[in-house]
Formats: sequence, structure tokens, C-alpha cells
Amino acid sequence: MMKKHPKLGGFISLICWIVGLIIVWEIIAFMCDMKFNHPENYIPHIHQIIASFFDTSVKINNHAATLTVLEAAGGTLLRALYGFVIGIVIGFVLALLMDLCGAIEKIAFPYLMLLQMVPIIGMAPIIFAITGDVNKSRIIIAAILTFYPVSTNTMAGFKSIEKEKYDLMDICSANKFQLYWHTKFPACLPSFFTGLKISAPLAITASVLVDTLQGGTTLGGLISSSLGGKPSYFIFWQVVVICAVVGVGSSALMGLLEKIFCPYRHGKRSIGTILAIRKENKMNVKEEIEDEAYQK
Amino acid sequence: MKLIKSKWNIISSFLYPILLAVILIILLQTGALVKIFGVKPNILPKINVIAAAFGDIPDLSSQIWCTLQSIILGLFLGSVLGYLLAVLTAMIPIAGKGGISLITAFNAIPIVALTPIFMKMSKLIDLDSEARCILAKTVVVTLVTMSSMSITSYRGLTETKPFADDLLQSYACNKFKILWKLRIPNSIPSIFTALKIGIPTAVITAVVSEYFLESQMGIGKQIKIQIGTLFSYSVGWAYIIVACIMGIGLYAILMLVQYITLKHRK
Repeated sequence: MMKKHPKLGGFISLICWIVGLIIVWEIIAFMCDMKFNHPENYIPHIHQIIASFFDTSVKINNHAATLTVLEAAGGTLLRALYGFVIGIVIGFVLALLMDLCGAIEKIAFPYLMLLQMVPIIGMAPIIFAITGDVNKSRIIIAAILTFYPVSTNTMAGFKSIEKEKYDLMDICSANKFQLYWHTKFPACLPSFFTGLKISAPLAITASVLVDTLQGGTTLGGLISSSLGGKPSYFIFWQVVVICAVVGVGSSALMGLLEKIFCPYRHGKRSIGTILAIRKENKMNVKEEIEDEAYQK
Repeated sequence: MKLIKSKWNIISSFLYPILLAVILIILLQTGALVKIFGVKPNILPKINVIAAAFGDIPDLSSQIWCTLQSIILGLFLGSVLGYLLAVLTAMIPIAGKGGISLITAFNAIPIVALTPIFMKMSKLIDLDSEARCILAKTVVVTLVTMSSMSITSYRGLTETKPFADDLLQSYACNKFKILWKLRIPNSIPSIFTALKIGIPTAVITAVVSEYFLESQMGIGKQIKIQIGTLFSYSVGWAYIIVACIMGIGLYAILMLVQYITLKHRK
């Protein structure tokens, strides 16, 4: 079974685990029912959470609550996206600079390791105080959180190239640009996307966390106010569900992008690439092709 | 010539970062950094001011302990559970695969959303508020650690040397013997790799989850209170430095243990 349909087996297994999780959740919810007078303040049943999405009686500032939550989610996510994109660019450029210049690597690398230890999200209030603007600080924090995994993973990708590939590029007398374009960039893509998969949920966390400093009708603000019971405890669960879905979805999206941008086809294109580089460098390509034809 | 070059290589890899640190400290101490960012001087306090702020914190050790016990306990529980899940998956793939996917999905849920859930759940247990906060924090740290541990050590358990599996099978080893003699030794380095990812995330998770707990104790809560409500930035910076030192300290201990454990391997 497992060997014939490895994907199906994994899928069935995942479903079983999810069902198990739901059962545990419902048991806890029933325990809450028994113990508390207002069980919905604690752990509600799953059907109650789903029903709350379609409940139009709860209102925030005279708007339907679900709509407000979704709008807030849109705003928060957009700002997370800004920071995420800025972080990707900075992270990639830094990795490239570190790879190009040894001195930059020596300066930056220890600080990258140190940065990992600094609770950047924990510093949200200070960054808020420095910038004085919620949106700016949200983008900055999301960018810092994104930039670290992206740059370290891309760096690791650059370093992972086998010596033979360098030799091959030497034989083709490839220049620096060709070396990066044909060898280093394709080689770093998988680890680059690993970095993105790690940092996408982090950027969202950062954005939601900075929200809580601002309050109001943002995702984080709604968490804070609904934990106090205003206007409904279910707002909290809606926000949690949205955060969870978006967090998992963002990571899955990066996985999908990875599959689109780097399917495993290096073997197929390698000989074509080599010929192309040699042609660009005005080496004798014709002879090579004839050689190949002869061998066939 | 080559010797000089390699020596310069080692020296410069220490020299350059220290140089940058010195420049940054000079900029901070002379107040130039404050001007660059265009902020009030008390937001970016000088180092001596931060150092003096440490003296103003009356119960620093109990605050540290409040956060640190959650980190250590969560790291331990998460590592053990994550490793067991990885072993289960290596032995019976169909049973464990879904578990690993699910725990990875948990990791993508923002801490902001996870912490209040466990805070609410903990109310089922009759404990005082402080203990419940520590419990909730520990559970979140456990979950975060579990995910990196299960994925990385699963890789260590399964990516053995080619033909090693076949060799042991030809010796008529059963599944448990292969696990004990081949897979578990092979996974030791990946346990350390997982912890290297796990320690910084555990520290950050513990600090951030405190933002959403009811308790007034802990490094994270103090950062929020000192900066958000009391506007005493120097004390806030002092707490941030404490959090960094906590992370670096745990990391250093890990490196030491790794050095001792893996010394005899090639």
C-alpha cells in the first residue's frame, strides 16, 4: 500500500492525525461544558466556531463582525507582504555580497548569528518607539525576520555547489556573471525557497504582533479586545482560524512557487547550457556537436 | 607566504566584526546614532545607562527564572516528543507521516494565536494563575521545538549510508536492531542541528508568548510593560540584553555538549 501509493498513504495518515486532533479538541470542549457556566469563553466546539463566521448579529462599529475581521486580515497581511518582499530583497542581496566579497562575509556572518539570538519580535515596542509609526515598524520587523532565514539559507545554497561544477565552468572559461547565472543561482534556489518557507509565517506573526501595540480594528487589536469579551469571544477564534490558515497557506504557497521555479531538470539542460556558454565565449562549438554526433 | 595568508584569514575573521562593533559603540556613545535615527536620546540609551538600569531591577533573577524554566522544560519535552515521533515515522511511515505534516502546520500558526488558546485551555486545570501561565508558555515552546526536531531527526534516521540498511538486513537484523545499531547513531548529529534551530526559536517563542499571558512575570512581559506602559527604555533594553544572553548561553552550552559528544566521530 505504502510503496504503491506513497502520496496516498501520507494523505490518509494526515487525515487520521487531523481527526485525532479534532477528537482531542472536542473532548476538551466537553470538559469546558461541564466545568464552566460560560463554556464559550474558554474552548468552544468546532461547529460553534464555524457557525460564528456566518453569524451576522455580532457587530463591530455597526459592521458585520466577520466582514470587519476579514478586512482587518487583508490590511495586516498586505503590510506583512511589504515587509516580506523588502526582507527577501535585502536577504538575497546580502547573501550575494557575502558570496562575492570575503571581507563582507567576515563582517556580516557573526552578526547574522547574533541576530538569530535577538528576540526581534520582542523588540517590537522599541522599534515602534524609534520609528514612531505603526506601519513603518511593522514593515521593518517583518523585513528583519524575513531577511535572516533568506540570507543564511541562500548563503548555504551558494556554498553547497560541488567543486566539479566550478571546474566545468572554468573549462568553459565562464566569466563571473555566467558563473552566477548558470551555476550559482540555480543551485541556491531550493535553499532560497526553504528560507522563504520559514520566514513567511514569521512575517505574518510580526505583523499581527505589531497590531496589538496599535489596537483598533486590526487582527492583533481584535485579538486583544475580544480576549476581554468585547464584542464577542468568537472574534478571537475567527482571528485565530484566519491566522492559522494564512500562516499554513503562506508556507504552502512558497512550496508551490518552489515547485514552479525549480523543478528538477538540471540534468536535461546541462549540456545545452555548457554549449551556450561556450558559444557566448566564442569557443568552438561546432566541433563539439560533431563529436557528439559521431559518438552516437 | 601561504602561512601568513591563512593566519591573516583567521585574524581578519575576528578583526572585522570587532571593528564594526567598536564603530557602532562609538556612534552610540557619542550620540551620533540617535541623530541618524532622529529619535529622542532616551530611546537609544548609552551603554553605561543600560548597565546602570540593571541595578534598578529588583527581582531580576526571578524574572529570568520564570522565562527560563519554560524554555528549558519546553525544549526538553519538545525534543523528546519530536524525536519519538521521528522514530515512529522511521519505523512505521504510514503512522507518523501525517503527524510530522501536522506538527509542521502548527509551526506555521503565529505564536500570537497559539498562546491564548493554551492559556484558555489551561483554565481547565485547577492551578493558580502564575502556574497556568508557565504551563501555557511551556506547551507553546514544546510545540515549536517538536516541529524542528521531528523533521530534522527523521532525516537523520532515514538518510543512512547507502547499503548500510542492506548490510544489516543480510545479517538478519530485525527492525529494532537496525533502529538501535544504525538509525539512532546516525541521527545524533541531526539532533544537534535541530536544537541549533530550536534554541533561538524557543527563546523567542517564550518571550513573545508572555505578551499574551495574564501573568506579570517574565522577561517578555517586562519588556512590554517597561517600554509600552512605563516608557523606561533603558530598563527595557536591559531586559532585551538579558533575553539575548539567555539565548547565547543556551547555544554555547549546546555547542559544548556537541563538541564532547561528537569528539570521537570523524
